[in-house]
Amino acid sequence: METQITARKAAAAPRREPLRLRTEFRAIMYLMPFLIPFAVFYLWPVYRGIWMSLHVWGIRGMEKYVGAANYEKIFNNPDFYLYLWHSFYFVLLCTPTVIVLGLILALIINQRILFRTAIRSAFFLPYVLSVSVISFIWLHLFDAKNGPVNALLGLLGAGHPNWLTDRGLVWWAITIVTDWWTVGFVMVLFLAGLQEIPPDHYEAAKIDGAGAWQRFRHITMPGLSSVMKIQIFYQVIGSLKLFGQVQIMTGGGPGDSTNTMIRYIYVTGFKKDMFGLASAQSIVFCVIMLMIAAIQFKLTDRKDG
Amino acid sequence: MKRWLLNIAAALLALLFVFPLVWMLLVSLKPDGTTVYSLSDWVDWSGLNADNYAKVIRDSQILRWTWNSVVIGVLTTVIAVLFSSLAAFAFSKLPFRTRGLFFVLIASGLLIPTEAILIPLYETALHLKLIDNIWAIILPGLTNPIGILLLKQFMDGVPRDYLEAAQIDGSRSFGLWWRVCLPLTRSAMISVGIFYFILSWNNFLWPYLSITSAENMILSAGLPTFLSNNTMSLNLIMAASAIAAIPTIIVFVLLQRHIVQGVSMSGVKG
Repeated sequence: METQITARKAAAAPRREPLRLRTEFRAIMYLMPFLIPFAVFYLWPVYRGIWMSLHVWGIRGMEKYVGAANYEKIFNNPDFYLYLWHSFYFVLLCTPTVIVLGLILALIINQRILFRTAIRSAFFLPYVLSVSVISFIWLHLFDAKNGPVNALLGLLGAGHPNWLTDRGLVWWAITIVTDWWTVGFVMVLFLAGLQEIPPDHYEAAKIDGAGAWQRFRHITMPGLSSVMKIQIFYQVIGSLKLFGQVQIMTGGGPGDSTNTMIRYIYVTGFKKDMFGLASAQSIVFCVIMLMIAAIQFKLTDRKDG
Repeated sequence: MKRWLLNIAAALLALLFVFPLVWMLLVSLKPDGTTVYSLSDWVDWSGLNADNYAKVIRDSQILRWTWNSVVIGVLTTVIAVLFSSLAAFAFSKLPFRTRGLFFVLIASGLLIPTEAILIPLYETALHLKLIDNIWAIILPGLTNPIGILLLKQFMDGVPRDYLEAAQIDGSRSFGLWWRVCLPLTRSAMISVGIFYFILSWNNFLWPYLSITSAENMILSAGLPTFLSNNTMSLNLIMAASAIAAIPTIIVFVLLQRHIVQGVSMSGVKG
C-alpha cells in the first residue's frame, strides 16, 4: 500500500504545485487549536469588556444599561488622575534606571572576564522568580528596624529610613526591587544586540585612534539602537502594568501613594463589586497604553527615515 | 583598560545581586524567631537547620501549591507549544488565501495585555464554571501569540526540498509537520517552552483572582496569603519563599542556555 502510493506520487510528481495544500479549510484546521482558546479567552473578553463598560454590572450580572455614564464617572473622579500619574511616575523612575543598569551589565558581561557565565547567571537569576517571592524577600530587606538595607546604611553612618512607609522613599524602594528583578532580561537583550556588532568596526576605530568613550558613542550606541527601541517599548508598557509588587509590599500605601491604575481597576472590580465601572477603567487605561505604544512607534520610526 | 578592576567590579556586582537570595536562605535556615541583623548573625552558623521548612510544609498547603504550579506549568507549556507550532506550520508552509487576515488577528493578541481584560475574563470564566478550577489558569495561558511568531521564523528556515522529499515519501501535511518541521525546530520549541513555563510558574495576578480555595492555589498566588497570617515569623516566611524559588532556580541553572536563548529571541525578533 505504502509503496504503491509512493510510486504513484513519484510518477505524478507535479513540478509546479509540489505541496498541493492550497485549501483554506485544511490550513485553518491547523490554526483552530490555537484560535479556539484565543477566541474564548481573549477576543470575547475584549468585546465583552466594551459591552460591560456601558452597564452597571455587579458580581450577580448586568443590572442596567447606562451608556457612557461609567466613562463620565471616571473622568470626573480625581482618583483616576492620581493613580494614572502614579503609573506614569513609576515608568519615569523604572524605565531609565533599568535600561542604563541593564546596558552597563551587558557591557561588563560582553568583556572577557573571569567566571563570565556564573556572573551572567547571577544577574539574570532574579528574573526567574515570581513577584511574590521577590516581594517577600525585599519586604524584609527593607524592614526599617531589622532589615539588611538599613543595617548597611547604618554602617555607612546614614539613618534608618522607613523605606516602605515614607511617601518620598516608597517609590524608590519599589523601583529598586523591580530593577533588581527584571534587569537580567534587559541585559540579555542588550547582550544579543552587542554580539551583532561586527568586531572589525571596533578594530578599525582603534586604529583610527578612537578612545573607549568614542567607540561606545559611535559604534556601540548606534549598533544597539534597534534593541534600545524595543527595550524602551517593553519597559514603558511593562512598568505601566505594575501591580504585584505594590499589592504585596505596600498594599497601595502609605495612604494611597503607591496605588496604580491596575490596582485601581482591581479594587473597583473585585473589592467594590463594580464590574462595569472597572471595565470602563480598563478600556480607558488600555487606550492610553495603545496611544503611548503608537507614539513611541511613530517617534522611533521617524528617526530611522 | 584595567582588566582586574573590571573583574572585581563584576564580581562585586554579582554578589550584590545574589545577596537577597543568600539572605533568604540564611534566614530560612536560622532557628525560628532569630534574625539576621548584625554581622555576627551572618557568621553564626551554629543553629542552622531545616526545621522551618518542615514546619511550613506541615502547617500550610505549600506542597499542594507546588504540585499545582508544576501541573499547570507543564500542561500550559506542552499544549501551548504544540498548538503554536501547528499554527506556525500553517502560516509558514501552507499558502492559504486568508493567511494575512488570520496572522493580523492573532498578532493583535500582543496589543492588549491580560491586565486590561481582567474583568471580562473573570466573567467569562465564571460563566464557564471555571472559577476556582486549575483550567481557569491553563486555558487563558494558551492564548499567547508570541510562540507562533517565533516558531514561524524557525519554520521559515526549513527548506522546501525537505517537505517535497517527505511528501514524495507519502507524508500528508500532518506528517510534514510532525515528522519534518517538529524535529527541525526542536531547539526553538524548547526555548519557547521554557519561556512559557516560567511565565506560567510566576503568573500572579490572574491566578490570584481566579482561584479562591487554598487547595487549588498555585505557589505565586498562595504565598501572599501568608502575609495575612500574623503568626508566621520571618524565618518561616523565608522558608516558604525558598520552597517557591528553589525549583525555578534549579530549572534555570540546568537549562540556562535555552532560557537565555528564548529570552533574546523574544526580544530581538519579537
